[in-house]
Amino acid sequence: MKIAGQPCLDALCGEYLLGTLRGAPRRRFERALREEPQAALRLRHWQRFFTPRHTPVIDTQPTARSWQRLEDELELARYRTPWHRRLAFWRGWAAAATFALLLTLGVQTLRTTQTPATAEIAQLAGTAAPQVSAGLTHDGRTIELRALRPVLAGPAQSYELWLIPAEGGNPVSLAVLGSLDARFDVPAAQVGRLKSGAKLAVSVEPAGGAPAGKPTGPVILAGAINL
Amino acid sequence: MLDDRMIRQLLMRAAARDDGSAAAFESLYKQCAPLLLGVARRIVGRRELAEEIVHDSFVKIWRLAESFDPLATQPVAWMIAIVRNRAIDVQSSHDVSRVDYYQNDDSGEPEGALDRLFDWSAAPGEREDQRRTTQWLRECLGELPAAERQSLVLAYDRGLSHHDLAAHMDKPLGTVKGWIRRGMAHLRGCLESRMGAAS
Repeated sequence: MKIAGQPCLDALCGEYLLGTLRGAPRRRFERALREEPQAALRLRHWQRFFTPRHTPVIDTQPTARSWQRLEDELELARYRTPWHRRLAFWRGWAAAATFALLLTLGVQTLRTTQTPATAEIAQLAGTAAPQVSAGLTHDGRTIELRALRPVLAGPAQSYELWLIPAEGGNPVSLAVLGSLDARFDVPAAQVGRLKSGAKLAVSVEPAGGAPAGKPTGPVILAGAINL
Repeated sequence: MLDDRMIRQLLMRAAARDDGSAAAFESLYKQCAPLLLGVARRIVGRRELAEEIVHDSFVKIWRLAESFDPLATQPVAWMIAIVRNRAIDVQSSHDVSRVDYYQNDDSGEPEGALDRLFDWSAAPGEREDQRRTTQWLRECLGELPAAERQSLVLAYDRGLSHHDLAAHMDKPLGTVKGWIRRGMAHLRGCLESRMGAAS
């Protein structure tokens, strides 16, 4: 039965807004609102003036959990900006990255200062190169070379540092270098052999070092070890 | 006072179902839940029941947001209607006897009760015609015979059924139904005559 043309339409609208239209009559009225545009229009006319606003006095704060419960039930996380597209995330990320960088720099600075100190064991000198100081760590495992001024090997050359043992015998290669400033580990077999009476020498070799394991080029620096 | 324009924007943003929808819906909830909870609580009387009603209503609001017609309806009134309907259904199914609670605030001097329950002042950003309509509603309610006004206000604010009203006012059901029907008819007549006079 159509409601729209009935004389009771206004009464129904009024009771619907008031809340006294209930149960089956309300369901019938709501169906009419969907199906009969004229009924919906009439209700809208009523709504224009019958919508009193409640005073804020009646406001009641929901419990803290209530929003979370709603968000979970409706799975609203789907409708949030993904973490990697949120500006706040990138701001946070930038701050974190800066912090990490500072931390790394700090650690490296710390490392440098924590490098074990070396004690000078020899002064290497020659006519073709600036003087070089050779140092050895306390445990005898690391050599450090410091040139008076920086010297780099040419593109086709390497410098090679040799140990001439105190007990005599062939020079033993300690390292192939690109620069006379260097710090490197003493080959395991030679640890303990850098002692007084032995000598250090630097020769100029083809790039990559002496091919046969013994010096081939000119010796530019030499000095006795003196612990 | 809730700003209808802002609430409308939040509803539409929620209805868009995109990355910003959850944030908009959360903002809508934070702003409207206290009022809606207050409305539900006045009807069902019990807080925990009112919380359930508001929860169910927001589930419905989220689902209906897409079909909300932004041009036709006042969004706050739309949400209040959802909450009231839900509260009225829950209340009738719970068969809660609550009529005793209303002695004090509604049955005394009617003028004061109307002002305690409803906000008749102009809302920010409200159009002139809306402001006038609110004013007329206040005046027309004030002009009703006391019994009619009291039944209308109790039914609306407290969600009382005809039976509840009859029990509360200690009058036959038919009498109360007559008050309601005539009260609404008087109200409409009064409002329409003012609208007619104004246009």
